[in-house]
Amino acid sequence: MLEEPRIGVFICHCGGNISDTIDVARVKEIIGSLGHVKLAETFEYMCSNPGQEMIKKAIDEHKLNRVVVASCSPRMHLDTFRQAVKSAGLNSYLLDMINIREHCSWVHDDKEKATSKAIALIRGAVERAKFLEPLTPKSLKVTESVLVIGGGIAGIYSALELADKGYQVYLVERNPSIGGHMAQLSKTFPTFDCSACILTPKMVSVSQHPNIKIFTNAEPVAVKGSPGNYQVDIRIRPRYVNLEKCTACGECARKCPVKKPSKFEENLGQEKAIYIPFKQAIPNCYVIDKDYCLFLTRGICRICERFCKGEAIDFTQQEQVVSLDVGAIIACTGYSLIDSKLFGQYNYGYHPDIVTNLQFERLMLQGLHKPSNGEVPKKIAFILCVGSRSTATNACEYCCKIGCMNAIKHALLLDKSVPGAEPWIFYTDIRAHGKGYEEFYAKAREHHTTFIRGRVAEVVPKGNSLVVKAEDTVLGKQIEEPFDLVVLSPALVPNISTKELAEMLGIDLGPDSFFLEVHHKLRGVETKREGIFIAGCAQGPKDIRETTMESMATASKVATFLGRGKISVSPEVAFLVPDKCNLCGVCIEQCPTKAIKKGKKEVTIDPISCVGCGICVPVCPKEAIDLKHSTEAQLIAQIEGVSREGDTSPKIIAFIERMTAYGSADLGGQSRRSYTSQVRLVGVPSTGRLGIKHLLHAFASGADGVIFVEGDDSLFKEDQLRERIIQLKKDLGKFGIQSLRIQSITTTIPQFEKIMSLFDAFVERISKLGPIPREKREELEKYLKGEQIATQHAT
Amino acid sequence: MKYAFYPGCAVHHSSKEYGESCRAISKALDVELAEIPDWSCCGAIDAVYSYRPLSSIALVARDLALVEKMGMDVVTLCSACYYTLNRTNKLLKENSELKNKVDAALSSAGLSYSGNVRVRHFLEALITDVGLQRIKERVKTPLTALNVASYYGCFLVRPQYLTSFDDPEHPKSLDDLAEALGASKVEYYGKIRCCGASLQITDEKVMLEMSKKILLSAKDAGANCIITACPLCHFNLDAKQKAIESKFDVKIDLPILHFTQLVGLAFAIPPKDLGLDKNFVVPNKILLQYARSVA
Amino acid sequence: MQPNTQLEKTNQKVETTPAEPLVQQKDRWAFVHEVEKLPGGENILDCLQCGLCAGTCPTRFAMDYSPIQIIKMIHLGMREEVLSSSTIWVCSSCYSCYSRCPRAVDITTLMMSLRNLAMKEKIPVKKEIKPKFHKTFYEIVRKYGRLHEPELLMKILKKSDLPNLYNNVKFGWSLLRKGRLKLRPTKIGNHAELLAILEKTAKEEAQ
Repeated sequence: MLEEPRIGVFICHCGGNISDTIDVARVKEIIGSLGHVKLAETFEYMCSNPGQEMIKKAIDEHKLNRVVVASCSPRMHLDTFRQAVKSAGLNSYLLDMINIREHCSWVHDDKEKATSKAIALIRGAVERAKFLEPLTPKSLKVTESVLVIGGGIAGIYSALELADKGYQVYLVERNPSIGGHMAQLSKTFPTFDCSACILTPKMVSVSQHPNIKIFTNAEPVAVKGSPGNYQVDIRIRPRYVNLEKCTACGECARKCPVKKPSKFEENLGQEKAIYIPFKQAIPNCYVIDKDYCLFLTRGICRICERFCKGEAIDFTQQEQVVSLDVGAIIACTGYSLIDSKLFGQYNYGYHPDIVTNLQFERLMLQGLHKPSNGEVPKKIAFILCVGSRSTATNACEYCCKIGCMNAIKHALLLDKSVPGAEPWIFYTDIRAHGKGYEEFYAKAREHHTTFIRGRVAEVVPKGNSLVVKAEDTVLGKQIEEPFDLVVLSPALVPNISTKELAEMLGIDLGPDSFFLEVHHKLRGVETKREGIFIAGCAQGPKDIRETTMESMATASKVATFLGRGKISVSPEVAFLVPDKCNLCGVCIEQCPTKAIKKGKKEVTIDPISCVGCGICVPVCPKEAIDLKHSTEAQLIAQIEGVSREGDTSPKIIAFIERMTAYGSADLGGQSRRSYTSQVRLVGVPSTGRLGIKHLLHAFASGADGVIFVEGDDSLFKEDQLRERIIQLKKDLGKFGIQSLRIQSITTTIPQFEKIMSLFDAFVERISKLGPIPREKREELEKYLKGEQIATQHAT
Repeated sequence: MKYAFYPGCAVHHSSKEYGESCRAISKALDVELAEIPDWSCCGAIDAVYSYRPLSSIALVARDLALVEKMGMDVVTLCSACYYTLNRTNKLLKENSELKNKVDAALSSAGLSYSGNVRVRHFLEALITDVGLQRIKERVKTPLTALNVASYYGCFLVRPQYLTSFDDPEHPKSLDDLAEALGASKVEYYGKIRCCGASLQITDEKVMLEMSKKILLSAKDAGANCIITACPLCHFNLDAKQKAIESKFDVKIDLPILHFTQLVGLAFAIPPKDLGLDKNFVVPNKILLQYARSVA
Repeated sequence: MQPNTQLEKTNQKVETTPAEPLVQQKDRWAFVHEVEKLPGGENILDCLQCGLCAGTCPTRFAMDYSPIQIIKMIHLGMREEVLSSSTIWVCSSCYSCYSRCPRAVDITTLMMSLRNLAMKEKIPVKKEIKPKFHKTFYEIVRKYGRLHEPELLMKILKKSDLPNLYNNVKFGWSLLRKGRLKLRPTKIGNHAELLAILEKTAKEEAQ
């Protein structure tokens, strides 16, 4: 304790919302008599201007150095009261707020019991207040540059948007050219814009923008630093062609003797071992494929070198790593098509005229033909949902989102370009949910596209044709229809590197293996790690319109993040207690934001990356970590205060995670869902903050049961919580306390009913078990005291 | 190499030649087959199972208990038995309630089964344990002029939770074997289609229709013969071929060989020892040629 | 209550018989839950009605309802219609549908379970030979420990269908000549053991 605490307690009537159920006069009397409490006051509306004035005046007059406000939920008015104490010259972290409305007066009817509970809750806050310390949020300058990983349409769009706003942007692309899948497409739905015509000008803008630097043939290999100040190592693979010198004249490729399948043409065409991915490639520069080049594989040839007038060929190029300082990162690494060979019944890879929709794009642009014999196909089957909407292993449970509209687009394009074409679309459900999409679907029907509702069973080559077998579920009839060409719509999967990149960036993947956003609706382009953002198909399948929209949203979020020039970091972070750490590293594994790093001689906690969840604190075997604003001293004082007060039996302490779970309990209060007053809530940053010590303190000082209430979206994951509870039950056993006395639950905000019914059921269960005997409590207390002495000796 | 051998009713009776040829090539490859003493019927896919599920499981559990005493893997020639035996293993492993009931029934006969018998198809044992290389080495008359259509049917490749030694859509074990014998493989539609074996008695019309598709697609693809790995499939395609020809008024005349017979031919084992005389469709010119070269 | 003057004015007729619901609400999910407990029915609600099973089924042409329709009927609780369908008897247990089903619905095993249910409840079948086959097969296996095909055929083939009987006898003769038919059954050695087991399971099944 810095100085002798002089605490003022302010109890709000909330215009009867509190005072109708809680006898505030008695609360004032009892709390006022507690040690170090210099003043206890009640007021009609503590949050009103006169209420705030009252607090300020009291601080001044009574030289208060701690303030406790007992009123509504801190989710409502914490900022209000922090401002009030701050304007009276007190550090705002010397205020504690305790919720006696949503968690007490609104959920209990018995005046006596509610009053007693309110006293207990406030007493907990008072005890805690004694240990509060002044804290100041850190302010940190950010690096005003952005790394964009992935040069597809998502990367291009967000890069341009940010560069236009004045930020330095580094665009990193794994392939030799930017452009991504969009560069391969013919036309786009539902407007029939030529894909290259709308994309390539943007690519040129990127290459000419003074604020954008492009790295192709490159990928990130290491990410260090913290939000606002990341250092990223980029590995650049050699092109063997000098970017500055190459004029893309193409003489090298004309002379190169080696042919290989073209990746850009989806293997439906060939290119030389020295090639340019496509005509409008950016950078407009040739590249040598080291797996095919005769010189690089066998040490012979070098013909390209001889014929290059600009002397651009450079076989001495080596792989290099450049390090970039960036404030924020956007991961937009896009998608791949699932391998259609996994679905053997479609015979992909067994017959040349069975192609993917991406291959069909190339066939359209090459001049539509059958890969087998070059003839123009007339009757074409489009098979949707190949590997999508399936629970089979290797398949994807989600919808690919673009297959329906893409097939409809192809059908309509055929109608325009191939006279007498007969497109058939085999679908499970047609999903036409974007602007203009339903109309597009209608148009396809008007232009004589045949729609068959039924997932295709198999494609069988028969003579010159491919027989598609399916049930027309509308007719209730099996059909076997011959076609010239079969086009599959494979599921969209995240690119191979997605998992690796997620690990490198310290962000999560969802169950679908795509990057996971913080909130499906409200924070759709942010990740759990501050300063790292996502865009495009790396987050989940989407079409071009959605991708560009999202990319702009991402750019806007990045600009907001970097735009303040500095970031304010909450001071409620974990810190190391001097001289206790033995470098075991257990905390590092537990940290969900990778904030803890191990050096040679010490462990450090980055206060910028730390989100203050407290999961690391109880796992430290040496008690070498503590958490600001939820320190061991503060927490234990509060637990004891809440548990000691009053003589109801049994007494239950519910530790409740301060965001989602707390919000859920608040909602329960707003809905007046009444429950047993024997449960007393103690807010914690996450229930991961709690260890065996806290339980023992609770039981020693009067609690008979403990509940952990965790938010469903918490960083302390459900399985971690389950594991922790199992461990705690074991540990409690060692002290002779039944494992039934502890229980956990996870919840979303609307699921308060589930928490409240657990409260009621739990109290019933503990009642049956009976209170913890006095001797047991004394034994625990003795043990805890001994422990305390032991730790003091150790330090 | 030694295995417990479960012939099954079909091999025991109506497809004797399958068992004979199997024994002949096993001898040539030093594979020992020890027939399970007093083995009983497996219940034939769903024949018993649909009527008396528990009895059908217990019936097979008895066979497996007998094998467990022998202390080796069990091989079968019949895909239907292969399925039924494997299914029993799986159900006993996953369903403890069922296992308790079966255990009780077995113990009333003084038997017990702990679920540790590995059930294998003879084809799979041949390919994985003996290996194509050793088979190749043993070939005396390579079947070079022969276009072989391998017929897999259902239970060799499906359902995947019971069998996974081959790809369910593009199986290749029989094709690989045929190629090892010097023959060429034939891609055709019927390869993994059902022959309708379980409908043979109760729905012959439907069965004939199903088998016809298989036969015609193999013939159209230029096959000289079809090889099978199941006596029921063989019966439908071979013994019922005449019925198919007359019902649909088509000429098929495609010899159907148990894969063991084809192996035997390449090993230059006399046709009589392979039971080739018991096949219905008389092996055509090319096959006769190999038979003659052997003689 | 005020009389509905609006209605009187327009002189509209009020339909007195309500529309007949497709399924009775109280039974709505009973059959689904029953099926979920049967082997093969575990994932029945996961079916997304894509129709792949029907498209791939080799005996679809001989069925009254397609497999996808059977599943839909189960979803709607149409118990009687499902159990009296020809579909469950025409299924040849080939597992093509399961093998390709994107939702892992084990339709093939379910068809076996549905046949079992239909037999248990003695639901009339269009083709009598079907349940007769299963019953007789079991009895023969019980009697000898192995199948004896001539006896099976003699017991289940319709004696009145003379041409069919003649064909079978003729076919039997050709098998006999090739040494592929035994007129007398083979009984396994330790038959008592088998009987003890089947007696126990039969008791269990009767419960």
